[in-house]
Amino acid sequence: MRTLIVMTSFALSCAADLALAQHNHGAPAAGTRPADAAPAPGGRPGGGRPSGMREWTRQPLLLGRPVKDDRAAALITARGLTAGGITVYAADGPAEARKREFAIDAEGARIEAVAPKTGNYHWVLAREESPELVKVASTAWYFGNPGDGPTDMLATPKHELEIVPSPLPREHRSYREAEKWKFLVRYHGQALAGQALAMETEFGSRTQAVTDANGIATLVFPRDFKQPPKGDGESEDPRARGRFVLVTEKEDGGKRYLTAFNYSYTQDPERSRSLGWGAAFGILGMVAATPLLRRRQQAQGDKDHA
Amino acid sequence: MLETLFPTLSRVRFVVQLAMLFLTVYGSVVVGTYAADKITGALPALSCAYDQANGAYCVLVPTQHQVHHRIGMAMVQAQQLTTQMVLPLLMVLLTFFAFFFVIGKAFCGWVCPLGTLQEWVGKIGRRFGFGVRRFEKGDLGEVKRIRPVKWVVLLGFVFLLPLLTGLGVTPHSLGNPYCDICPSRIATTLLTGNTEELALRINDGWKFGLGATANVLIGFMLVGGLALRLPFCRICPLLAFNSVFQRLSPMRLSKPTRASCGSCHICTDACPMDIPEISSAEGRKAYNEDCTLCGRCVEYCPQDKVIELKWGPLALFGSSRAYYKAKVARELPDGTVKPLKFVRNAAKPATADA
Repeated sequence: MRTLIVMTSFALSCAADLALAQHNHGAPAAGTRPADAAPAPGGRPGGGRPSGMREWTRQPLLLGRPVKDDRAAALITARGLTAGGITVYAADGPAEARKREFAIDAEGARIEAVAPKTGNYHWVLAREESPELVKVASTAWYFGNPGDGPTDMLATPKHELEIVPSPLPREHRSYREAEKWKFLVRYHGQALAGQALAMETEFGSRTQAVTDANGIATLVFPRDFKQPPKGDGESEDPRARGRFVLVTEKEDGGKRYLTAFNYSYTQDPERSRSLGWGAAFGILGMVAATPLLRRRQQAQGDKDHA
Repeated sequence: MLETLFPTLSRVRFVVQLAMLFLTVYGSVVVGTYAADKITGALPALSCAYDQANGAYCVLVPTQHQVHHRIGMAMVQAQQLTTQMVLPLLMVLLTFFAFFFVIGKAFCGWVCPLGTLQEWVGKIGRRFGFGVRRFEKGDLGEVKRIRPVKWVVLLGFVFLLPLLTGLGVTPHSLGNPYCDICPSRIATTLLTGNTEELALRINDGWKFGLGATANVLIGFMLVGGLALRLPFCRICPLLAFNSVFQRLSPMRLSKPTRASCGSCHICTDACPMDIPEISSAEGRKAYNEDCTLCGRCVEYCPQDKVIELKWGPLALFGSSRAYYKAKVARELPDGTVKPLKFVRNAAKPATADA
């Protein structure tokens, strides 16, 4: 028995070590469901409806879309600010490659994962600066290959006034209608208490939250999602994404800092699901199993009588 | 000290199952939000990726994903075969095997959250006086009749349908069909207070049908599990998946030929999977494809060192007559224990009437 207990402890510690060793593996591309992880237009964080739609905000935005046949690249365009380039931070890879600059051309900026086979979240930002104003647009982009989690990357200050998701949605998850999510606002790396954080969505909702003593603002995503128009015979796409942007501003030393973080969110899954039907089929399964209970008791009773 | 805390193998397994249930259902609390995604996508246990609080997830998720999105689509495009078809699937299988190597099929009997839940449902059934139903002649029929089902589920729902979907033959809704019928998806998400997976998708006929199947299975498991031990494990594709590699892991059940084995069949009575071979066969055949390495057969073997749990040459736990006597005094081989007091009281008048 002692051998078994020792071996069990050893096996579990091996499994734990192995688990951590596997830290970078098994990460298919982001999606709301495991098999929905295939690259899909607008299906990536930072994406949303195809470009060319009406302008829904005057805030600075970074809009992205996947590059066909290249899981390690994305095309980012900046709106609402004039920036010469895009800065990309990675959580993984060689130290010198964790912060890189990509030039913007007519098509936008083609950004790349820190290494062709290293993915996960990358932090993307563009900056416009004048003597009076520093305007920053930021977003996150999920490359569909394995890579380190973004904890340290998000914890590292990158510019003056920042909006930091706490946390970003996990794999197979997204921001969704009616859910509460937290965002940290910090200034020069320090949490900023009492700071207003405004949210705008592409469906017209406007809301605001104020950070607590720890610099955390809690926002409830509005229940405003509208499915894109669908053709005859097409069903709703539960993976369709809408855009939102968070904005915060601060004046300091005669200079105004405006920072935005934009990303995508999806509809409340309960809209296309029925708990009633689910419960009904669950009960059906229970009813189907009841003969297993009844018949055995009868057989046992017969045995007792005998 | 250790032997006071863990007097039996069952107690050790109970504690391990409890810890693993926590890790596989709520593990992100311990390992962190992002690390939880990355611990593994190749766990040889039904730890569901739909559960947003878990600490790892099941090998069947990336397997279906690779077959659907990589193999099927790459076959259609007929290009970059090596990098797009072989490597991704190989990586998943290698990662899976790296995990599997440590404790082999004990992932089923010691780690899988759905197995743990089913066992606990069974314990409740015993406490409430429900008699055990068995796959054997005279009750539910021979266990061999149900064994092929898990292979059909593995080949059909984990490989074939995702492949056909990747090839464009079947609709996109059939891209991860096993996840859609998996009762662990519902059980583990309900344990986190999330009813989303219990709810059925109503805008997609295929998803509705597959989801309804999962709901029927979980309902059947919750009630049927009161009498039938491990009802879902018997058709679980992960048990089939693990059994493909069971000879490659050093962790195994050992029953060499011994004259002292009296073929009393107590080990089969104790086996929650109703495996007759553990009593009727020896050597490799005794370590059957359905075995989850739970160790109950070892605990309930009344002969010294006839059955052993081994890791390589190391004997982790062996049967002994003294252990058997102590064990059987607390619980009968089929799991029967003293029912709860009110159940006994309720049974008394009926007996008196008879």
